[in-house]
Amino acid sequence: MREPSIEAVHLSRRFGSFQAVNDVSFSVARGEIFGYLGANGAGKSSTIRMLCGLLAPTDGEARVAGFDVKAEPESVKASIGYMSQKFSLYLDLPVRANIEFFGGAYGLSGPSFAARADEVLRLCDLEHEGDAITGSLPGGIRQRLALGCAILHQPAVLFLDEPTAGVDPVSRRHFWRFIRSLAREDSTIFVTTHYLDEAEYCGRIGLMVDGRLVALDTPAALKRRYVPGRVLAVRGHNLASAATSLRRRPGIIAVEPFGAGLHLQVAADDWNADSVAHALTSAGAQAVQVEAGEPTLEDVFLAVVARPREAHAQ
Amino acid sequence: MTGPARFLVRVAAMASKEVTHIRRDPRTLYMALAMPVVMLLIFGFGVSFDMDRIPLVVLDGDRSVASRSLVRAVSAGHEFAIAADSDEATALCMIRRGQALAALAIPTGYERHLSAGRDGEVQLIVDGADGVVANQILAKIDGLVRAESLRRIDLGAEPPLQVKVFTLFNPEARSALFMVPGLAVYLLAIAAVLLTALTVSGEWERGSMEQLFASPVGRLEIVLGKLLPYLGLGMLQLLLVVAVGAVIFDVPIRGSAPLLFFVGFLFLVGMLGQGLFISVVARSQLVATQAGALSSLLPSLLLSGMLVPIENMPRILQALSAVIPARYFVHALRGIMLKGSGLSILWTDLVALTVFALIILALATARFRRRLA
Repeated sequence: MREPSIEAVHLSRRFGSFQAVNDVSFSVARGEIFGYLGANGAGKSSTIRMLCGLLAPTDGEARVAGFDVKAEPESVKASIGYMSQKFSLYLDLPVRANIEFFGGAYGLSGPSFAARADEVLRLCDLEHEGDAITGSLPGGIRQRLALGCAILHQPAVLFLDEPTAGVDPVSRRHFWRFIRSLAREDSTIFVTTHYLDEAEYCGRIGLMVDGRLVALDTPAALKRRYVPGRVLAVRGHNLASAATSLRRRPGIIAVEPFGAGLHLQVAADDWNADSVAHALTSAGAQAVQVEAGEPTLEDVFLAVVARPREAHAQ
Repeated sequence: MTGPARFLVRVAAMASKEVTHIRRDPRTLYMALAMPVVMLLIFGFGVSFDMDRIPLVVLDGDRSVASRSLVRAVSAGHEFAIAADSDEATALCMIRRGQALAALAIPTGYERHLSAGRDGEVQLIVDGADGVVANQILAKIDGLVRAESLRRIDLGAEPPLQVKVFTLFNPEARSALFMVPGLAVYLLAIAAVLLTALTVSGEWERGSMEQLFASPVGRLEIVLGKLLPYLGLGMLQLLLVVAVGAVIFDVPIRGSAPLLFFVGFLFLVGMLGQGLFISVVARSQLVATQAGALSSLLPSLLLSGMLVPIENMPRILQALSAVIPARYFVHALRGIMLKGSGLSILWTDLVALTVFALIILALATARFRRRLA
């Protein structure tokens, strides 16, 4: 097996008495899209900052693109692209000036850089926006520009911290298509996100709770492990009160509100769509429709976060 | 590509981005280029310590040839203007209202006393509310009256003792000559500190500083890339201020112009470093503006010797002024422009400015590093 692109071993970071990142270990293979999920303050950004050489770990170590983040932060910085939470572009400058500046920051110059700048503008679908003032463009376009600035120097590893926050769904879809094409060309992508639907695009997912990495696997494996049994999607009226009575019945694993309806997680041996519909109707719900549902990462997330703290500590 | 070449590429990228920022922001250009000139014009024309046409009330109780001759002697120059020729009550009333600043009373029998060979006595009533003004009036009247006495005696013998005064460098005692170098220092200090304080704290606020730290751009490259464009702008500013001083206020450059710009360069580096230090510590544009304005405006106005001579300050302020770069720049600038002083006299100023610049830049860079975590 090739050397992993990112490897964290017992990585920890403390701010005073606050343990932001607590003994986190994982490795990411080359060309993999690795999703890093967690609530605000769970330690996602601190992990990214340590991996980018921006923040020194208080304990443990990490290697990125073959370089030690503690001993060789400058070599790490030269091999990675980083897109921070707020797209920190220069809004008063034209699109092209931003590209030129970040290229220069990575030491790129001359005709080969000019060609690369054109290529990136084309890749990010910004060919016609080159002279536009960045601040006048909508969020989706700025996000493409920020990504473009991060990949100018063809980094081996790309860190994206909440790259799609505040971007419309169509732009998000395009963005992910582009990310996947980068991964196919052997770039390693490390991405944090709030959007659990987006996390489905990731090869593997790490789940952070209170600074700890509590789950790490492919989306499908996570669903099998944390959402066992059958998931049923329920719609209808007066569901809330009927669900309360259902909650105590054997074979009901979890009842979670989902959109306007409910997601029921049930033991496959005890329940099916018909028996659930019948039970809810007799408990006072009306117009009940039950369909077999796919477990989502939201179900996984809720199941993991709902587990008692002690379980995470083990 | 080699290391030094990459270093230059990065510094150039930082600097050219900064130039684009400046070109696109009319406020920066105004603050850097128009504000100093406007302020120089306002201060140069508006603030003058030369008093002329001081309103004076004459109370001539003698109305003789001799008394008229004295009044003529006093009012012949441009120093005094006769506001009224009146009685004592009116004179006091006018002084109280501010219509006159002094009254010259010539008593009855003035001519008779003089012709009899006795002392001729006149009385001067001065508005003492403003001590500086009162002193100037006293000195001026004293000089004029003395000249009139000499003229009278001259008919006879030479006076036994005479002082002939030659004022060097600024014989007409024009405020502009004295003020323009001081103002230049003051304006350069404010603009330089504020400009850098704003630009670096802006990067923190925008979040682009973190982006820069995640790239291979080093701290020295950031510092140089930030300083160079503003250093250029500051030198342009200095040129503009010196030119305005020369063309509009007739301020000469008696010494070496290259030396003047070299001292200006050292001073600017120090001031830009001070702005950098503030923004590294403050990280917010609001705080940086306040701290930048305060730390440049007050010391360079009050402690530089621009308005108040350093020798007249309390000992503790004198000691404090020793660490204010503006003090050395004011001294050097006045030396070069008015006295034609050269390196042999001004080298201490150059050393002081260099030391300040090096210390503040080292502090800023060190502080920069620590904040990276």
